[in-house]
Amino acid sequence: MGSTFMGLETARRGLTTQQSALYTTGHNISNANTVGYSRQRVNMEATLGYPGTGLNAPKIPGHLGTGVQAQSVQRIRDQFVDRQYRQETSKLGYWETRSNAVSQMEDILSEPSDFGLNTSLDQFWGSLQDLSASPGNASTRKVAIQKGIAVAESFNYISKQLTEIQGNLKNEILVSTTDVNSILKQIAAINEEIQAIEPNGYLPNDLYDVRDVLLDELSSYFPVEVTYEKSGGNALAIAEGSMNISIKVKGDPVNVVIGKDFATLTANTGDKKPITDAEEYQPFTSFTVTGSVNGKVDNNEIIYKDLEANKGQIHSLIDSYGYGEPTDKTGFYPDMLKNLDELAREFAKAFNDVHKTGTDLDGKQGIEFFVSKDQNNIEISASNIAVDIQFETNSSLVAASNSQFAIDANGVPIKEEGNGANALLLANIKSKPLFATGTPPSGGLNGATIQTYYQSMIGQMGVLGEQATRLAMNSATIQLTVANNRASVSSVSLDEEMTNMITFQQAYNANARMITVVDETLDKIINGMGRVGL
Amino acid sequence: MRVTQSMLSSNMLRNLSNSYGKMSTLQDQINTGKKITRPSQDPVIATKGIGYRTDLSKVEQYQRNLGEVNNWLDSSDDALDHVGQAVIRLQELVTDAANGSKTSDDREKIKVEITQIRKQIQDLGNTKVGDKYIFSGTNTLTPLHDGTKFSDSLISTGLEKEVKMEVYDGVEINVNTTGIKLFSEIDAMLGKIETSLGDGSEGTVIGGYLSEISNMQNNVLEKRADIGARQNRVEMMENRLASQEIIATKRMSENEDIDYEKTITEMITQESIHTAALSIGSKIIQATLVDFIR
Repeated sequence: MGSTFMGLETARRGLTTQQSALYTTGHNISNANTVGYSRQRVNMEATLGYPGTGLNAPKIPGHLGTGVQAQSVQRIRDQFVDRQYRQETSKLGYWETRSNAVSQMEDILSEPSDFGLNTSLDQFWGSLQDLSASPGNASTRKVAIQKGIAVAESFNYISKQLTEIQGNLKNEILVSTTDVNSILKQIAAINEEIQAIEPNGYLPNDLYDVRDVLLDELSSYFPVEVTYEKSGGNALAIAEGSMNISIKVKGDPVNVVIGKDFATLTANTGDKKPITDAEEYQPFTSFTVTGSVNGKVDNNEIIYKDLEANKGQIHSLIDSYGYGEPTDKTGFYPDMLKNLDELAREFAKAFNDVHKTGTDLDGKQGIEFFVSKDQNNIEISASNIAVDIQFETNSSLVAASNSQFAIDANGVPIKEEGNGANALLLANIKSKPLFATGTPPSGGLNGATIQTYYQSMIGQMGVLGEQATRLAMNSATIQLTVANNRASVSSVSLDEEMTNMITFQQAYNANARMITVVDETLDKIINGMGRVGL
Repeated sequence: MRVTQSMLSSNMLRNLSNSYGKMSTLQDQINTGKKITRPSQDPVIATKGIGYRTDLSKVEQYQRNLGEVNNWLDSSDDALDHVGQAVIRLQELVTDAANGSKTSDDREKIKVEITQIRKQIQDLGNTKVGDKYIFSGTNTLTPLHDGTKFSDSLISTGLEKEVKMEVYDGVEINVNTTGIKLFSEIDAMLGKIETSLGDGSEGTVIGGYLSEISNMQNNVLEKRADIGARQNRVEMMENRLASQEIIATKRMSENEDIDYEKTITEMITQESIHTAALSIGSKIIQATLVDFIR
């Protein structure tokens, strides 16, 4: 036979359980706009029926229900969608950063436009045509020299600006690495807290959420792989446990977080020297992964070619900034700078070669027109190309004539001031294919003209930019779809919460009513019975 | 699928930002009149654009060169025309002087005029275009006749050389007419006639110069015919360049210029889509169940 007050106890359980569900609804509504918050649900279960089993259990007909209890408070989350989301975030991180790098380069090269390098080259060729038409005129000579200076300065400007952006990219690599290290440290700290809470039979849902947000952030920098390790003790079966993170590389993934232990990453240049703020070019070679002393995370190294292709912001930054040996100049910006240097060098060489075969206004042999303004490096590059300073003060030095160098009886060179044939040859360098010369063959532009070479540089940059923009768009679209799927599972719906609120409130009210009913029955027994006739 | 408020609002935000993006591209296009503002939007248009710009600037440069070419040819032609007239006058005078009835006094008067013609020929040999002597070959800063004598081609090696200008890819036109031989011969002949007129030679001696004079006349005509032929060539080249300019401009425009009607229509369509998106947005965010329960 059951207890007199059993009905009261059942209804009381109902009250507290519905109340906790109501409070959880309140928690959900409060966090409707919290980033990374997953809605929570109280898992209710019926308590064990009465009577229990046993030899001396009372014999009553039926197995009476004893009410409800809140078994756990669980967050609603789909880990497969999370995984997908992180994969897309890695891709998006890569392509978005790449598209940014390209668009900065485009801003500097500003092609097609009426003020890019191509235009200043065109104007220079034009001024040489004018010079060939009036070679004896000091003003056409001055104009040609000034246009030549403009070309040199265009090269200088583009090279300097590109180098500056490259410097910014390096800073970004350093800042991102610091950011990654901070995230790893935070996740390890959260793991530690979770390890302390779970053995008590609780689900630290809000800590899970924070940890997942950090992981999302991390996956935009690196492609990561995640495994979970159950906490011991009295942990629930649905408890997630502590999170182990490794960076995906070719070959075995590199552990960076194991439980409360975490690693610190350092970006290195050659000879495993850390990349510094210093201005010089320090191409990336590897990441040193340093585990904490006596921790579970091992020391490790991630070299450039082990990084997974086209994933993560940091990889993209490295690809843009440059990697490998400093002399190789591999990477998006180093490539462009290398091509630009090559163009400047070959342009100067082709021009000087023709210029030196001509004779100037005084009948003297032509000298080098383009020189390096850097005393330490006489090889001409985009950053140091300049017109020899003598030309600025003496315009007659321009070798516009193709007359043979010869001197008359008085030792004065014979001059032909109206001869502009060499100026014409200079102007026609524009359409001259430049091949490698000498043995072994070196230099040249593989048979391209200065114009077509530059055109292909711009084309290549455009194609890369187009690809980056398109793939960034694709990843963003997929990421959004996945994010929607995730939100569909995890995000708070106010309508739903309102409905739940009404459901739980009514259930609470009904339980309260139940208590009243039991109260009334007890009142009947206690106060109304045995008073026959009264 | 379960749909929540946050999904709706994030979708709406993204759509709005996409719509802004499209409007910004269209605005760029309308403002600049170009289909693209950076190579990554369409690398093909960008690289072609660079090429077409160069083509066009080349054509413009050749047109400028042609102006200079015309200048030279016209001036040369004009100067030689005057030389021709002078030679005709010379012929008249010599024919007159060869008359046996002329006294030495008459011949002395004719000699005065011939001296003037000689001077004029020397001046014509020093014809300039801008600051350049056009009959001095490539020695354009050296006058053909310095007032006392003609330049020596051993010192000024460029006297017999051609001045060439490029008027099209690889097409060069010789713009000058080397004058040293022509002018010095005429001058020498005039010198001889002067002497003959002054030393009381017979009319027949003087008449003997007539054939030499008509040779000179032929020489001048020959040079002028050559200039005329070149002028024809230049004129043809001018026409060709004019059509090249139109073609290059058209190709460049077709490559990179927007079709205004089309782009503006697209802009208006995009604007109305954007307005619609905004008004829908305000509706999405409005109501939840909260608004309907007490």
